[in-house]
Amino acid sequence: MISSQATTVKGPGSGKKLLSGARKIATSFAVILTTLLGLLVITFVIGRLVPADPVIAAIGDQADQVTYDRVYKEMGLDRPLYVQFGHYLADVVRLDFGQSHITKNTVSSDLARVFPATIELATLATLIGAGFGVPLGVISAVRKGTWVDHLGRVVGLLGYSTPIFWLGTIVILIFYAKFGLIPGGGRIDIYNEGLVEGPTGSLLLDSILAGEWEVFFSALHHVIAPALILGYAAMAYLSRMSRSFMLEQLRQEYILTARAKGLGQRAVVWRHAFRNIRVQLLTVVALAYCGLLDGTVLIETVFAWPGLGQYLTSALFFADMNAVLGSVLLIGMISIAINLLSDIVYRFIDPRTR
Amino acid sequence: MLRRHFLSLASAVAIMTSLPFAAIAATPKDQLVIATNMSSMRGLDPHELNQLEAAEVVANLYERLIVLPADKINEPQPGLAESWTISDDGKTFTFKIRSGVTFHSGNALTAKDVEWSLRRLVKLGLAPSTDLRQWGFSADNVDSLIRATDEQTLVVETPEVWNADLILLSLASFSTSVLDSAFLADKAKDGDMGREFLQTADAGSGPYSLRTWRANETLIAEAYADYWQGAPAMRRVILRHMPESSAQRLQIEAGDMDVATRLSSTDLSALETGGKVDIQKTPGFGFYYVALNQKDEILSNPKVREAFRYLIDYDGLSKTVMKYYGTQQQSIIPAGLPGAITDNPYTLDIDKAKQLLTEAGYPDGFSKVYFATPVTPEYEVAQTLQANAAKAGIKLDLQGGDHIGKFRERAFEIFSARSGERLPDPHSVLASYATNANNADEAKLTGLLAWRSAWDVPKEIQDMVLAAAHETDKAKRADLYTQINKAYLASSPALVTSFQRTDAKAVRKEVKGYTGHSTWLTRWDTVTKGE
Repeated sequence: MISSQATTVKGPGSGKKLLSGARKIATSFAVILTTLLGLLVITFVIGRLVPADPVIAAIGDQADQVTYDRVYKEMGLDRPLYVQFGHYLADVVRLDFGQSHITKNTVSSDLARVFPATIELATLATLIGAGFGVPLGVISAVRKGTWVDHLGRVVGLLGYSTPIFWLGTIVILIFYAKFGLIPGGGRIDIYNEGLVEGPTGSLLLDSILAGEWEVFFSALHHVIAPALILGYAAMAYLSRMSRSFMLEQLRQEYILTARAKGLGQRAVVWRHAFRNIRVQLLTVVALAYCGLLDGTVLIETVFAWPGLGQYLTSALFFADMNAVLGSVLLIGMISIAINLLSDIVYRFIDPRTR
Repeated sequence: MLRRHFLSLASAVAIMTSLPFAAIAATPKDQLVIATNMSSMRGLDPHELNQLEAAEVVANLYERLIVLPADKINEPQPGLAESWTISDDGKTFTFKIRSGVTFHSGNALTAKDVEWSLRRLVKLGLAPSTDLRQWGFSADNVDSLIRATDEQTLVVETPEVWNADLILLSLASFSTSVLDSAFLADKAKDGDMGREFLQTADAGSGPYSLRTWRANETLIAEAYADYWQGAPAMRRVILRHMPESSAQRLQIEAGDMDVATRLSSTDLSALETGGKVDIQKTPGFGFYYVALNQKDEILSNPKVREAFRYLIDYDGLSKTVMKYYGTQQQSIIPAGLPGAITDNPYTLDIDKAKQLLTEAGYPDGFSKVYFATPVTPEYEVAQTLQANAAKAGIKLDLQGGDHIGKFRERAFEIFSARSGERLPDPHSVLASYATNANNADEAKLTGLLAWRSAWDVPKEIQDMVLAAAHETDKAKRADLYTQINKAYLASSPALVTSFQRTDAKAVRKEVKGYTGHSTWLTRWDTVTKGE
């Protein structure tokens, strides 16, 4: 009877929940698709407005008019803009991003090659940034006003205000040119080129999987400096945010209560205050990671790091619109995926969002 | 605890960064490492590309009928063609193809491969096909004009009589590289004659074969063990994409690179005084020029054009920004070629420019929009011109950016850039600067700088250019070019030339035999390394 009652009561409620869940998923998908479409439209239009001529970029300035006209048609530029966009969109739906006019490869294969390099760098930088930044922020908040706090703030401020391009150049000048402690650029020593072509595209992981330790150490040696510089910038941001979140929590009455109960500093900070800033921290770490994925262009240029930033920059300079659109779309999709992932993780660590 | 956690993390990273990695002080003795900027490399099909860095790669992956040694740039030497004869009427060239040459696939190279390759170049009709098309070859006639009569004999007939050197020099261009036709037979897609495949692969017989190419990253070429002249000393040649001049400089100083190819004037100057590298300045067959649109009433006045000649600080630029990028050359035939004049009659003279402007009816000057490419050294040259023009009363609104499209469409007032031809003969430069068969907009002779400037080149100059190209007598031809050069300078041309381009490279002193080539055919198989 109880069971039957429960069933009758639960039935409509469960249906509503399902409906609401389906509606949420549908809304999420609609938002994602609209975002990606908007991203494509804007990039496509801007790409057509930039003054660089993609035909000349492909065939050179000296080509005669017959060649120019032929390539113009080959690139589909003789069709109206909306038709070009329509064709492009139809290809994208089939996951065909077209061919790069610069590399002559498909954009998909180019992205599969350059993106792991950026992920490798950005992931390491985020780990370094979060590994240092969060503890530094927490220490600063707990010891507010002491020399540790001041030092943390100075370090953070320097990280905020120092241009990454400049810092990279100085690091190369001192640690490469002067002391020879780090390599001058690239992902790997040229003598190890081509020894590992693994499944993930990350030289660190692939070399471990292949048991090529010389390649692994070469790759590690190359990634340290750019990852530390990017990580420093991320650390500056994350330490300031962590400090601010912690200060807010430490002012709360429950902290006072916890202390009044006689809990030790460790328990107050970690079990009570820190637990409550995890959701906020997750958001800022995810944002920092997204920022690093598409913001490594300067460091990639300084360290000749063949990643997405460098690929996109080259494509922009030479009006290689398929490559530009493919890269922008990928960055957009990854940003959305990271945000979705952080949303899902919220639900696990914050019961209020369930 | 927090501090302990933080300090232990810091220590871990500190230890990681100070691992005893072996810093490599020099490249291996059997490998050549070149720092370059690959941004403009567009595939590796020799019949499609038209770009310096890619041409150097193709020069080593493939071979051609004729070879032009770097120190005898306009003296054709046997390459894949062991010898050749020219018919009395000057129209039929018969080449004896070298036997014992094999492609990287192992296939033997025959006259049939040469025939297929030259026909392919013409039929594809892409930018470098001008090397043959300019002599009258077309998709319609090439099958009958270029033919292999047997395995070792190739006959090339020209539709008209041209100076034989023009044909032979053209057959030394990277664009006439010989491809492995049998190997490519099953690589063709939709009748593209292997075009898609060759963007990222090679089908040549040169001293190196392509092992890896990752665009804008790395190119690795391996020595071809069965090369007919013997395997090269450098086992591998590695090109690394390094767009930053300062990065190239640091790496060549540290010995991580053997050659650096795209360096700024400042870095070249620093390297030159450092003593570890030699700076090579390879003359190119092109000029730094200022184009004055002749559709503009003011700029079409010969005295105004002449005035611009006096607004360029030739001496000042020679000592500064142009130190490594160019040599003064105000006439139209590049130094080192027949008919070249080394006199440079113009100097910076603001008063003279003002006087000419007054005579032209513009004593108070005028204002014009000036497009210039925002790259070194073109932009610095443009800025000095702008400053000097202002002193003479001409207000130039200097606009950087990619304006080449507007130049091609004649939609500009003043434009400046740098040109580069590959044929080591006065004709290649003159054809562009001093011929314009039809000055009408609809003619769209966009390949010619004279047409782009809307300059109706004086007929006598155009006639002399054509006559010289057809002239078979060497002495008469040289004389004609001297006359053309003088007439061109006297005509106050719409294309104001100031410096002949040079391409500067830094080469480590221990590297021998790497010699910059004026027609982009720098060889790697001549390279050795000393102590």
